[in-house]
Amino acid sequence: MVRAVFSVASMLPLAGTVVILILTTPDVFAGRDLSHVIGGWDAPVAISLRLDGLAWLSSALVAVITGMAGLAALPRKADSRKADGRDAYGPRFYFFLMMLVAGMQTVILTADIFTMFIGFEIISLSAYVLIAYDRTDKALLASLKYLILSSVGILFFLFGVFLLYRDFGTLSLVQMERLIAETGLDGSPIIHLAVSALVVGIGVRTAFIPFHTWLPEAHAYAPHPVSAVLSGVLIKVSFFAMVRLVGIFRGDYLMPLMMWIGGITAVTAVVWALAQSDAKRLLAYHSISQMGYVLAAFGALSVLSVPAAFFHAMSHAFFKSLLFLVAGSAIHMTGERNLFRMQPVGRRAPLLTLFFLIGAASIAGVPPFNGFAGKQMVVAALGTAYPAVPHHFGAAWVKVLLSVASVGTVASFIKLGRIVMPGPKGEGDTDGGPGFLLYLALTVLAAVCLVLGLYGREVMVVLTGLLGPDPGLVPDAAGVPRTLFSRPKLLEALQTVLLGLVVYFLVVSRPGKAVSHLLQRLAPDLRTVLVLFVLGLGLFAGVAYL
Amino acid sequence: MAISPSWMLIGAIFLIGIWGVIGAANLIKKIIGLSIANSAIIMLFIYFGGQSGETAPIDAGKFGVPVDPIPQALMLTAIVVGICVVAMSLVLVYRLYQRYGTLDADEIERAVWNGDE
Repeated sequence: MVRAVFSVASMLPLAGTVVILILTTPDVFAGRDLSHVIGGWDAPVAISLRLDGLAWLSSALVAVITGMAGLAALPRKADSRKADGRDAYGPRFYFFLMMLVAGMQTVILTADIFTMFIGFEIISLSAYVLIAYDRTDKALLASLKYLILSSVGILFFLFGVFLLYRDFGTLSLVQMERLIAETGLDGSPIIHLAVSALVVGIGVRTAFIPFHTWLPEAHAYAPHPVSAVLSGVLIKVSFFAMVRLVGIFRGDYLMPLMMWIGGITAVTAVVWALAQSDAKRLLAYHSISQMGYVLAAFGALSVLSVPAAFFHAMSHAFFKSLLFLVAGSAIHMTGERNLFRMQPVGRRAPLLTLFFLIGAASIAGVPPFNGFAGKQMVVAALGTAYPAVPHHFGAAWVKVLLSVASVGTVASFIKLGRIVMPGPKGEGDTDGGPGFLLYLALTVLAAVCLVLGLYGREVMVVLTGLLGPDPGLVPDAAGVPRTLFSRPKLLEALQTVLLGLVVYFLVVSRPGKAVSHLLQRLAPDLRTVLVLFVLGLGLFAGVAYL
Repeated sequence: MAISPSWMLIGAIFLIGIWGVIGAANLIKKIIGLSIANSAIIMLFIYFGGQSGETAPIDAGKFGVPVDPIPQALMLTAIVVGICVVAMSLVLVYRLYQRYGTLDADEIERAVWNGDE
């Protein structure tokens, strides 16, 4: 009981964050950036914080998702007969969870590039501990893999910081912005190299191909609430940091590469996802795939890019954490992770089925949920990509890749739906079943999914105001359709679902299962992972000099 | 920015570290490689930071021409962070060693992934 009290108390700072965000709403939404210097030192020496639109939105996302995941982690019992969750998640767990939040908020709010490095390292250390929290062998190895890759990545980030400090003489992003505006320093090859190095360092944490190899294991073998937070916000926080950095240094030359990496990531990860039989690994591969959508929108360099990318990232945070919590609950109840061997929990926990369906419909892009809205925004961003370049660097092809990925997504979630089919009634053992707090968290997440989906256009208007290059921009002037629920779009969604059904039957057929087993066994070992990483580095550095 | 011998030396140390991380089979050697690469970046900051001859923002001018203290402060932080990461990695390796009795990365990976399915 006392442990529960301390656990809840440690989450109160999240409520404080929400209060502060509410209080600063009028200023931020009017376009005034708020800043604060810590410790009373003068500006260049001190750590300064900046709250602008992007920071406000990201901070809110972190607080809500972590709050819900923390809520869901509260009632874990210590006596379960299940394969995981052997310890109740007591105050020590919440300590590391709050440290993770502290790291994320540091990265989001800072106006100083070295503090961003510190924030990233705080995030990493907490994440290593949280991933390995259950102390299973797989979790330990997954955490170690993440540690090695992430540490090598952050070295490149530091190299980028070095190059920037050398040329600008300051660590403050605000001052760098001013210097760039005055002297146009951002065109030199050194700065391009620096930005590439920073992006690579961040890219490892955002898990785009070829830096994605740590993610499936780390997210799959972490405790369930931790998976929800990792997939929900951690991969997005590094993306938001990248948005900020690329925005300041005008890394436009990186954008076509990013758009294509996004499209390729989306499709490749879905193919791997379809091959998985572990429920959480399937969800983890989908995290990679959906971040591909976000990257593709961001790389499209249209006026809608950042708002569309943020919309989809936000949608993904909500539906992915919903799905991880549902899947985690099912695994907890049945003691089995393999979705083919798991006894379906549909009849034991019918509400869980409802939440699964909401989450699956969201990620599959079924109206009226937020995935449908988010994907339309991404497509709109791609549609208005690179207006000054003929053939838009192949943005139309990237759209095709994303459509293919959508079909695969539908198929995977039909496959995962197996875990909530009506199955055997429980043996009267409701101990491991979902409790009130878990249902509360799931309800909040699902409700937001629905609201974002229904009011997608209005949300997009707000986002464009906060994040877009021109605060007065009206979205449909830039290509967002007047209504999201127009007949062509609805038919398109129907078509995707039907094709997905076909793909599902192909995947679970006998030759399909053989291919799945082959793909599962091809998962790279640590050495291959590192080689891929170095190749990816070379790619980004090379683009700097083209 | 000419490629002076100092750049090449620091680059070589960094590459040795990365080579260790990728190529070594023993997990402890991978961690040592990571630590070496970390040191290379730290040396980069300190060596090139020491050449700048900037005035310090605090206590300027009292002791002759001071070196810019910011890279050194940054690297103190980076060293501390590096130590924490190495400590965490050693804990993970130790736990894996306790389970499997080996430090060989390939053997451990085989054992972990084949312990299931």
